[in-house]
Amino acid sequence: MNYHSVINQIVSTPPLGGRISFSRLDGTETMALPELYEQAGRLARRLRARGVGPGDRIGILAANGPEWVLLDLAALRLKAETAGLEPGKFAPSAELMARYDIKLLFTDRPTDAPGTVPIGEVRTLAAEPEDPAETTPLPPVEWAPRDVTTIKFTSGSTGTPKGLGATVGSIDSSLAAVQEIFEHKPGDDLFVFLPLSLLQQRYWIYSALVHGHDVTVSSYEAAFAALRRAKPTVVMGVPAFYETARRQIEARVRRSGGPATAGEAARQLFGDRIRYLWTGSAPADAAMLRFFTDAGLPIFEGYGLNETCIVTKNHPGAHKVGSVGKVLSGKEVLVDEDGVVSVRSDHPVNYHYAYAEPGASERMFAPDGTVRTGDLGYLDEDGFLFIRGRADDVIVLDNGKKIVVRPIEESMRTSPAIAECVLFCPSQTDLVAVVSPASVPADLDAIAAQLARTNATSEADEKISRVVVADAPFSIDNGLLTSQYKPKRQQILAAHHARIHDSKEGIHAA
Amino acid sequence: MLPDIENAARESLSAVLDPAVEPEDLDLDADMTGTYGLTSLNKVLFLTEVCEATDVDLAHFTEHDLAEMRTLRSVAESLSRHTKKVA
Repeated sequence: MNYHSVINQIVSTPPLGGRISFSRLDGTETMALPELYEQAGRLARRLRARGVGPGDRIGILAANGPEWVLLDLAALRLKAETAGLEPGKFAPSAELMARYDIKLLFTDRPTDAPGTVPIGEVRTLAAEPEDPAETTPLPPVEWAPRDVTTIKFTSGSTGTPKGLGATVGSIDSSLAAVQEIFEHKPGDDLFVFLPLSLLQQRYWIYSALVHGHDVTVSSYEAAFAALRRAKPTVVMGVPAFYETARRQIEARVRRSGGPATAGEAARQLFGDRIRYLWTGSAPADAAMLRFFTDAGLPIFEGYGLNETCIVTKNHPGAHKVGSVGKVLSGKEVLVDEDGVVSVRSDHPVNYHYAYAEPGASERMFAPDGTVRTGDLGYLDEDGFLFIRGRADDVIVLDNGKKIVVRPIEESMRTSPAIAECVLFCPSQTDLVAVVSPASVPADLDAIAAQLARTNATSEADEKISRVVVADAPFSIDNGLLTSQYKPKRQQILAAHHARIHDSKEGIHAA
Repeated sequence: MLPDIENAARESLSAVLDPAVEPEDLDLDADMTGTYGLTSLNKVLFLTEVCEATDVDLAHFTEHDLAEMRTLRSVAESLSRHTKKVA
């Protein structure tokens, strides 16, 4: 019996309608999805002629664009795997190809490494055939639930990125669960600007091919310009993106002669067709979520890891402030006696990493594919999941008291003078915060005032004794933030080690 | 570099910094990322806004051009080459 799946549908059945648009700074190219299907087929035939077949792996190291999408779909048609490599994190080289067993690497970066192909060739390979012999149909392929379509890479804080194969079953299951709660349909246009090397961003293309809605893929640089042109109904973003948009909306409302309300300003930025905004990948501030909802743009936060795919999601039919939503179909959230969250899936993303240091797979995956997330959380009586922080962000004091640092850090971050705050416990008795200032020079008075406010609402053991203010804000460039804008604790500790351990340093609590 | 463009660039950059640095206090030659903590997303938004404010078509620039604009002066000079407005 055939295993019915989204992936098998999009390799075997031409889409009936819908469009895909590719936005760059210099304009937008729109293509009907049936045409995309045809072009992906032609590309697949020509890759096959170059020897790419089932089980082979092609790498894609390029910015978002039609070539990326065509290669991804062509690989699915050939039952070949892709490795989505984010520019900036990876550079094309023979060593990279050997490390991840890549047969051909398509890239928009300059390189002369053997086996690399300039991504510009993809459009030529996908163009109309001149030789009738090239129209020979592709051999039919069928993906099984445990087959891997793509390798995704973790944005880990240290060392070589881990590689994880994503199974067809997990992709099918996630897409079905999301469709159940959001009902994307013709008339919708889903806006994607985060790198397509992140598998979840490609989900919205797969969804368009199956459900007949439109999808707009923008380069990262063109995101805000493309939003105005595209007027999407759904935006696939992350908290840092919405924080940026929020500040812009507020600035526009303050401007004389500008829009009268946040709602009006938000519609200028996002267009006037927004049905909802999607956020994930990192915890969102409650104030930001409330801002957009109050402005008439409902925003829904969810929860998931690379290793679990989407686990929970708030949505129009079930949402609760402060939670990351209810558990999706096909997933189960288990919370142990220490409050640590594990996730069991009907179709796990995988049972182990494809590339990782020894022991990493065993630490993350149980034999049945259950993932130990390392996050602390709880399910409320209505089944909504609340995440309180990372288990390894718990500081155990000498007196045995366990301090969950995230709520304290979040309290500090409510000050406009503080971009990030990370707590450490250098002496096992007192808490020292390292603050990334929101401006340079830092507003030390405002930071001291926030320290007093946070301590005033904290229990005795949770009070911060000192604040070390970083000389330069944490950034991706200086290695103190991940690409998802999360602080890297170990690196922050290393960079400020002397000041954290010097009791004379920093702003002292009153 | 046209004075109108420079003023618009100062105002647009000031608007995306949190908390805002006053437009007149911005150093034209400072590295916007290192000195003002301009994130990549904020840079994209800032450049989109300043193009709109100065009636310069963003399509004149490539993704690579944007990456190369590291100071307020380089932004203002790039825009000055393409503006349709008379200073």
